[in-house]
Amino acid sequence: MSSGITVADKYWWISLTSAKSNLAYLAEIGSRVFFLGVILYIFLRLWQVTYSETGSQTLGGLSLPQMLWYLAITESIILSGPRVAQSVDQDVRTGAISIHFIRPLSYPLYCLFNTLGERAVRFFVNMSVGALISVVFVGFVPMNWLGFFCFLTVLPLAFVIDFLGNFLIGLAAFWLEDTNGLVLIYSRMTMILGGMLIPLELFPDSWQATLKMLPFSAVVYGPARLFVSPDLAFYQDILFRQVVACIFFALAVAFVFRIASRRVFANGG
Amino acid sequence: MRTLVNYLKLAAAYTRLNLDAQLEYRGAFYSQVVAMFINNCIWVWFWVLFFGRFKVLRGWDINDVVTLWCIAASGFGLAHTVCGNALQLAVLIARGQLDVWMLYPRALLPHILLGRMSATAWGDAIFGYIVYLIFVKPDLPHFALFVALTVSIAFLFVGFSIFTGSLTFFLGNSESLAEQWRYAMITFSTYPATLFEGAVKILLYTLIPAVFVSYYPIIALRQLSLSHALIAVAGSAAVVAAGVFVFYYGLRRYESGNLMEMRG
Repeated sequence: MSSGITVADKYWWISLTSAKSNLAYLAEIGSRVFFLGVILYIFLRLWQVTYSETGSQTLGGLSLPQMLWYLAITESIILSGPRVAQSVDQDVRTGAISIHFIRPLSYPLYCLFNTLGERAVRFFVNMSVGALISVVFVGFVPMNWLGFFCFLTVLPLAFVIDFLGNFLIGLAAFWLEDTNGLVLIYSRMTMILGGMLIPLELFPDSWQATLKMLPFSAVVYGPARLFVSPDLAFYQDILFRQVVACIFFALAVAFVFRIASRRVFANGG
Repeated sequence: MRTLVNYLKLAAAYTRLNLDAQLEYRGAFYSQVVAMFINNCIWVWFWVLFFGRFKVLRGWDINDVVTLWCIAASGFGLAHTVCGNALQLAVLIARGQLDVWMLYPRALLPHILLGRMSATAWGDAIFGYIVYLIFVKPDLPHFALFVALTVSIAFLFVGFSIFTGSLTFFLGNSESLAEQWRYAMITFSTYPATLFEGAVKILLYTLIPAVFVSYYPIIALRQLSLSHALIAVAGSAAVVAAGVFVFYYGLRRYESGNLMEMRG
């Protein structure tokens, strides 16, 4: 490793390489946005009918255009998630993880920056399609630069929290026969409790405070809500909760990874 | 009649063998089944929350939507516990892996379909029947009709997977297309069909035949209507017929991958 390359440079290049390699498969990513289109259309109809039957202009503080943009963002966040847990699971089961130990890289950080690069490309493609569908069906929502800036700052932290959650599940492969079940449940918890399908304001009143404190809302609801309805106080609140969630999960990953590393046995030559 | 009994016995034997194979990895199998069960419960919970706030949606209430989820899940589950390879058809064709199945004396298509079991499909099937019994609390005629309709929907899902998977014969590797199309079918099948109008409604009767899951069976159960049930069955039969036709028509274009394979 050249002495001129700092630790930050190393991980930045991992992220960039991951993004570039995903750009090479843009057609493959493009084929997957078909599903995003189907989902958004179904939600558009669901909420169009709901707004019309209730006769309300706003539900949970959102108008119909805001609701569709909200859903476009939550869906883009969820559908852009790379298969982190499955990849870590494979590394553990095949023993490929031991190869990472002899590299001058931290395995969790390598996975994090690799994931961020991939997810950035996927999110951009998804969001482009989501925005197109939203503009065609409901037009634009009022935006300002401050709101857009707030959204752009909380989005990477949302991706980091989601990565850490998935990485922890992947590490469970050291102890469990199969982690697919955990992945499935985690992803559904993120969807429902995170407010992907329905904004948290439409949950029963007694649940809302608890749901907003859970990390799922910092991944999905927070960024999407900021995009459609920018608010500086809400921004500070979500940023604070994201930082707390990041610290908590990072400590959990460090702790579990340390214990798990002791269970790696390398044989052969 | 004898042929039908013969194939039913084959299906039973394959299901038993596939289940034994799954149980070799008991922990993985049970965790996948439980996870799928919980997954479906979470979706139902979403609808409970939704209807907690908005009582009726185009004439549909929470009981209708729970019935929809139960019938779709148990139909899908039944289909892929027995015919798990339906989900893999596009891959098998694209990789030229049909050869091994051609060596058997049975008809090719049913034999391929029966060759594998999806573990998560058990979770779907169990969820559908249990939640329907607990949540909807049907009387005997309703439950009997529900079971019959899940069989019809199972055929529909298998037929649809055969149809989309067989396009690989004509388009080359259409694995991604088949997968996306199937996701669209599953997604449309789990939302009330009354939400959709116009061109999309036509789509739901043709290219994505979700109305035979999310409309006719639900109305049949709500009104205990035999005519709606028969339309659902006819829709499934049409999809299966289209799938079988496209598969055998496309089979003429099949090229072997010259792979050496052994089946345990």
